[in-house]
Amino acid sequence: MDGVLGSETESHVIMDGTVNIFHGERDGVLVGSAAKPEKLIIDTDPGIDDTMAILMAFQSPELEVLGLTTIFGNVFTEDATRNALLLCEIAGRPDVPVAEGSPEPLKGGIPRVADFIHGSDGLGNTFLSPPKAKKIDKSASEFLVDKVSEYPGEVSILALGPLTNLALAIKRDSSFASKVKRIVVLGGAFFALGNVNPAAEANIDGDPEAADLVFTSGANIAVVGINITTQVKFTDGDLLELRQSKGKYAKILSDMCKFYRDWHVKSDGVYGIFLHDPVSFVALVRPDLFTYKNGVVRVETQGICAGHTLMDQGLKRWNSSNPWSGYSPVAVAWTVNVDEVLNYIRQLLMK
Amino acid sequence: MAAEPKKIIIDTDPGIDDAMAILLALRSPEVEVIGLTTIYGNVYTTLATRNALHLLEVAGRTDIPVAEGSHVTLTKGTKLRIADFVHGADGLGNQNFDPPKGKPLEQSAAAFLVEQAKLHPGKVTVVALGPLTNIALAIELDPEFCKNIGQIVLLGGAFSVNGNVNPAAEANIFGDPDAADIVFTCGADILAVGINVTHQVVLTDAERDKLIQSNGKFAQYLCKILEVYFSYHHEAYSMRGVYLHDPTALLAAVNPSLLTYTEGAVRVQRTGITRGLTLLYNKQKSFGEVTEWTDKPTVKVAVTVDAPTVVKLLMERLMES
Repeated sequence: MDGVLGSETESHVIMDGTVNIFHGERDGVLVGSAAKPEKLIIDTDPGIDDTMAILMAFQSPELEVLGLTTIFGNVFTEDATRNALLLCEIAGRPDVPVAEGSPEPLKGGIPRVADFIHGSDGLGNTFLSPPKAKKIDKSASEFLVDKVSEYPGEVSILALGPLTNLALAIKRDSSFASKVKRIVVLGGAFFALGNVNPAAEANIDGDPEAADLVFTSGANIAVVGINITTQVKFTDGDLLELRQSKGKYAKILSDMCKFYRDWHVKSDGVYGIFLHDPVSFVALVRPDLFTYKNGVVRVETQGICAGHTLMDQGLKRWNSSNPWSGYSPVAVAWTVNVDEVLNYIRQLLMK
Repeated sequence: MAAEPKKIIIDTDPGIDDAMAILLALRSPEVEVIGLTTIYGNVYTTLATRNALHLLEVAGRTDIPVAEGSHVTLTKGTKLRIADFVHGADGLGNQNFDPPKGKPLEQSAAAFLVEQAKLHPGKVTVVALGPLTNIALAIELDPEFCKNIGQIVLLGGAFSVNGNVNPAAEANIFGDPDAADIVFTCGADILAVGINVTHQVVLTDAERDKLIQSNGKFAQYLCKILEVYFSYHHEAYSMRGVYLHDPTALLAAVNPSLLTYTEGAVRVQRTGITRGLTLLYNKQKSFGEVTEWTDKPTVKVAVTVDAPTVVKLLMERLMES
């Protein structure tokens, strides 16, 4: 079997997307009711904040990471695959399969990668030695379809990059959207400025066609936009605390974060880093730390606002149909309990 | 000494709330209405012209010229979205008023705008209450227009909120997105009042009752035409009241201190499913790459409004008329 993590008795938290039962905390270990671990596939473009989220997932006994699928975004897909394999090794989980995803967006062309944010290696120019393990033969979308079909209604997906692989999975298998348990998407900027340009957030901008297809697929989707994730920061002080902590991955993460942090100073005047991917991870395991609004989300694919995510808040009864009519709503993260999410991230990263 | 009243031209598609704004302007000593220019939107342009002339006759101000504007969009589009379901088939609450006696000028709206701006450089404020086709045509007609015009106060856009035509677009911008993008990026002094602001300004059923009970001539007239507008709001928004879009924009020109605003570059999406989307970049974040907003002129975008005072001013001025 692929990467089964821990036994049932080691897992602590009930995760069904709506209910979390926490009885208390001791030594950073969350103690709750025992339950079957939640099956998870992380679709990712590591990426410094991806690295944080992936290592957090591996530190979470309530999750069973079935595999990583890779995508372009912070780096090209090929590099994302190398980094994903490397991260599995760093986490002591070289058995976890890594399936390589699409090298390009649905419409084709060379993707824009954010090497100026994550370094040319995607890991803050730490230039770690290459991994020993190899990617599996299946493509990301094949792997996604296979796992979701194998465990219908049981597999959650954390999508941390452009949504090309998920769109390809939906195209490959028309029952994918109904069989996947839920998809937590990091992407979009809802009624807020983008980060690639004023209209668009990077993950959605990476493949607007794919994003529109995923959001309108009818799957159970929660989306966490940068209007939420930019509220949750590690300050320089937090980064220092991480470095000085006894966390298993404290040093490697601190080293990677240097480059990332310097970009934040330049771009946003933030002396620290935004925790985009870790926050999305928390939205997966602790949805109760967020509030959501349900509405149909469409993605503009043309013109100067290509990549813009637009949600119908449902405040008005439209007198005729429009491009939002008739689609299933998704849950858009609306508010975040910043302190609790930060605590959760700190605890896992310093574990 | 009272300051010289501000010269304003109202570019309008009357329209019930346009009628309110026009009559309010004629009762506002701070401004001198030097002309109305007409445009499609709530009604077709021909009807907008007829209604503009009618309203001036109601107000006894046939001295004010009306210049008819474009019948088509900037890109010569003839498939216009007309909001007769909001304002009635005649645009004025299905009252079937007698046709006006007056005639519009021979001059087009754009030519009138250009001429007046040139005649009083820096002194004329355009209050644009409909799609921005006439203003864009004025800019095309005379590259100096943006410099000559004092300010353009426009009712349009939905900034960081859903639109009112569809989730992306507000009606005036949706009416001619190409024109709107030209106007927003032309470099003139622009104050945009979007529905994110005007949705804060509501005339309630109770306030309408007060208007009905007053002896104000304009109040009486408006109460007749408001019925259709109230029913629409009740159906579409489940609210007992109406949004004061156009009167708010007009009062923003009369007294800018009723609003607060932010500044930044505004672009309008001209294609795709979000056609008509207005997107403000307030320049607080810098981007790694040049964007479509980079180096575009800055405009003012209203953020908050003193809604109680706007409603109070409207009521007072219409009831005393």
